[in-house]
Amino acid sequence: MTKLKSIAIIDDDPITVFGIKRMLSALNVSENINSYVNGKEAIDDFKSIIKNNEEVPEVIFLDINMPIMDGWQFLEEFITLPITHKIRINILTSSIDPVDRENWKFYMTRTHHIIDYKNKPIQKKEIEEITKAA
Amino acid sequence: MLHETQTSSNDYLIKQLPVSTVFVNKKFKIIHTSDKWITYFDFTNRDVIGLSLFELFEDISKSWKKDLNNIIKGKAMLSGVENFYDAQKNEKWFEYVNVPWYDEKENIIGVIIQTKDISDTIFDDIKLEKLEILLRDKSEISKIGSWEYDAVQDKLSWCNITKRIHEVSEDFVPDIESGIKFYKEGYSRNTIAMAVDRAMTKGIAWNETLQLITAKGKEISVIAAGKPVFKDDKFLGVIGTFKDITDEVLKKVKTEEQERIFSSIFNSSYQFTGILDTEGTFLEVNDTALQFSDLRQEDIINKKFWDAYWWPIPDMVKEGLKQVIAAAAQGEFMRSEIVVLDKNKQPIPVDFSLKPIYNENDKVVSLLAEGRMIKEMVEARQKLKISEQKFRSLYELSPIAYILSDFETGEILDFNSSFETATGYSKEDMTNLRYADIIPDSSKYKLTNFLKEVDSIGTYGPFEHMFAKKDGTSYPVLISGSLVGNKKGRKLLWSTAQDISEVKKKEKQIREEQKLLKTLIDNLPLNVYIKDLESRKILVNKSELIYCGFKEESEVLGKSDYEFYDKKSALISREEDQRVINSLIPILGKETISVKKDGSITKFMTSKIPLIGPDGEASGLIGISMDISDLKQKEQELRDLINVTSIQNKQLINFAHIVSHNLRSHTANFSMLLEFLVDEEDANEQDNIIKMLTEASDNLLETLDNLNEVVAISTNVNLDKKPVNLNKKIAAAEKNLAAFLKKNNAKIINKIPDETYIKVIPAYIDSIIMNFITNAVKYKDDSRDPVIKLTVSENEKYTILSIEDNGLGIDLNKYGEKLFGMYKTFHDNSDARGIGLYITKNQVEAMNGKIMACSEVGKGTTFNIYFNDKA
Repeated sequence: MTKLKSIAIIDDDPITVFGIKRMLSALNVSENINSYVNGKEAIDDFKSIIKNNEEVPEVIFLDINMPIMDGWQFLEEFITLPITHKIRINILTSSIDPVDRENWKFYMTRTHHIIDYKNKPIQKKEIEEITKAA
Repeated sequence: MLHETQTSSNDYLIKQLPVSTVFVNKKFKIIHTSDKWITYFDFTNRDVIGLSLFELFEDISKSWKKDLNNIIKGKAMLSGVENFYDAQKNEKWFEYVNVPWYDEKENIIGVIIQTKDISDTIFDDIKLEKLEILLRDKSEISKIGSWEYDAVQDKLSWCNITKRIHEVSEDFVPDIESGIKFYKEGYSRNTIAMAVDRAMTKGIAWNETLQLITAKGKEISVIAAGKPVFKDDKFLGVIGTFKDITDEVLKKVKTEEQERIFSSIFNSSYQFTGILDTEGTFLEVNDTALQFSDLRQEDIINKKFWDAYWWPIPDMVKEGLKQVIAAAAQGEFMRSEIVVLDKNKQPIPVDFSLKPIYNENDKVVSLLAEGRMIKEMVEARQKLKISEQKFRSLYELSPIAYILSDFETGEILDFNSSFETATGYSKEDMTNLRYADIIPDSSKYKLTNFLKEVDSIGTYGPFEHMFAKKDGTSYPVLISGSLVGNKKGRKLLWSTAQDISEVKKKEKQIREEQKLLKTLIDNLPLNVYIKDLESRKILVNKSELIYCGFKEESEVLGKSDYEFYDKKSALISREEDQRVINSLIPILGKETISVKKDGSITKFMTSKIPLIGPDGEASGLIGISMDISDLKQKEQELRDLINVTSIQNKQLINFAHIVSHNLRSHTANFSMLLEFLVDEEDANEQDNIIKMLTEASDNLLETLDNLNEVVAISTNVNLDKKPVNLNKKIAAAEKNLAAFLKKNNAKIINKIPDETYIKVIPAYIDSIIMNFITNAVKYKDDSRDPVIKLTVSENEKYTILSIEDNGLGIDLNKYGEKLFGMYKTFHDNSDARGIGLYITKNQVEAMNGKIMACSEVGKGTTFNIYFNDKA
């Protein structure tokens, strides 16, 4: 099984980040796992990665409710980035607001990237599937 | 005897006396006569000697007799003038001189009478005088004027009558020439000139009817006569007379004219006219009668009346006609309708009359027979009869009551069966019935009025009135009538009376229905009106009247919308009207907005329904409008309320999502960490997980606290608002935050007037002020010390507190929507919880206020907090 080059976790909740990292490391899918506390930090980093002709993470775990720049605002900017291959974005939220699901569908139609939507807490099995599919 | 002897001896002498002399004795017996005397008195063939003078002159004048007696008695010579008529009845005039006849002893034995014939010298003064007197006497009676012309003296004299005829004054002195000039020029003047000439030269008298022009210019007709007087072939003059016959001439002319008129009337009359003698013989017959039967005068004149052509059956009528004529001859006026034959033998009805004509002695001298063709009259009568029959049947069968009454007395003379049916009176009641009896007492006063009307214009009505029935009840009628005069000059009043009880009942019913309808329409909570084709109101109900702003219908009727609404509203309404009228399609339940002239706006639910006439065209429209301004207002309020509740609902859902999200995120962490913990064998890692679990638990508690706070606001919406002094609250907040402010070098510039009060829930205002001031300092720009400026302003609904800082500012384009959201933070501050503004906003909204923000990144933010003081 080929390992993923890099995975990004964008979430302001340190416990969630800890949890995902722990599950990812248990699965040993990638050596390179980065976390960001809000969308802005992530997008800024991705822009510099692209600028340096490096590769953006193949799998992204994205929280919605975050200060400064939330998940949707992040997506809004992300889909405009010049990334030709498909990135698998996993929206991971504890929101059960249907508006958020609507937003997800909306963004799915607007990008070639694969966007998935999951409620917290995420199970190890799900992480496994996400990383395996990649 | 001496005398006798002497006489005898003297005989011869006496016989030859050149003077006409006669000797009479005391007894006036003729003793001697001269031949001249015998000749003069024409006694040539008589032996007059011995005859009494008075025997010879029977009509001798008394004065002469007296004279003679006086001579016998010794009176001296007396003379006089006498006249007599000779055997040829010629009047002769003589002058006498009586002298006593003495014998030798101077005894008077008789009278010697010398006479001188003065017949030819009548121009003697005495004679003229006498003649004048005579003529004057005569003239005065017969208006005959006289004149004399004395040729010797060439003197013309006129008597006063003559002068009057000539219309000259009495002192007028005429002469021959001027006399002739009075004659009318032409025939009259020529005739008289010739007559005078002939009289003078040939002694021919004249007597002519001629025309004179009087001095006053009047033309008169006279019989002018003149007779020349000669003596011994010597022309002495002319005597003459004038007789004014102007009146007679005129009378004659008049008579002729009357005769002519009579004759033309007689002949041209449309009547047949004839004059009969009392025996029935025709004396005259007019042309009309002749032409009618195509006869000539000679067919009729001198024939008997009953033998005339025109009797249809002569034998039968003959005797009757004879009797009629006999009766008329006795002075009876006969008249009857008869039938005569015209020239075509057609029987023609004639109104024939025979009238006696009396002379001045009241004796019937002739009969005037007259006949008038009455063909038309007879036909007209026939028609009249038919129409009378018709009238009769109408009269009796008509549902209208007819009453014939005497206008003066009010007696009722006739009425028809309809009257009987309606009033219950019968013909037997008629005798005692007066017009006033059929008028109920309550309307008697009207009777006088309409009788006056009848008297002045001959007719009355139609107008409504009451009639009294026999049983005393009354019923309404429509009466009219007219005055007719009968032959005797009695004024009769024909009245007709139509029973209008039913009509009245219907009218009443209609009135009641109308009233009901009117009441209904008036009390509808709708504006109802009817408009004509020109959109003028012809009916409005009370609501519409009030809406239009008037009290009287008359102020609204006939006016169009242009007089009530502003131009735009009126125009729209007029267009709607025209559309309805033209298309006949009603407008139903349309919401309209009417703006009146005073600017007031009313929202209506309007229906306009065409009024369709019998011709299928619209004659106008009925409008029904419901004022839905209040309804609309309520609807708006409701909508606002729905908005509010839907916002609140949204907020609530949002809140629920937030709560669920927050709780879920913590529980998710718990569940994840617990899962890790179960499988973890490394003690260090276990500790780490437990530490994180504790952290998660703390976070959960905090979240719950926050939620509590928010829920508290939402459940405390009913807290009472109180006016608080804004500056006191700000001062309190400054005091609480003094250390924090000092630490951050923050400065507050308060420009709020001390007396500013706002109506708020006191606990909330503390929290709101704290929150904004804290935020302003917390999100300061590190390059400068925070300065917070507080100001206040006011609009009609709100008191607005403005809090302006010089902090970091927020990109409202990016974060505007989430500025007041829960758990939204926009800066990298570690102590930003994302709950402050959310709670503040909830508090402000709980007090019916709102918050607006404007911000520029890098310069600062201004929050405007709207406190609703009014509600």
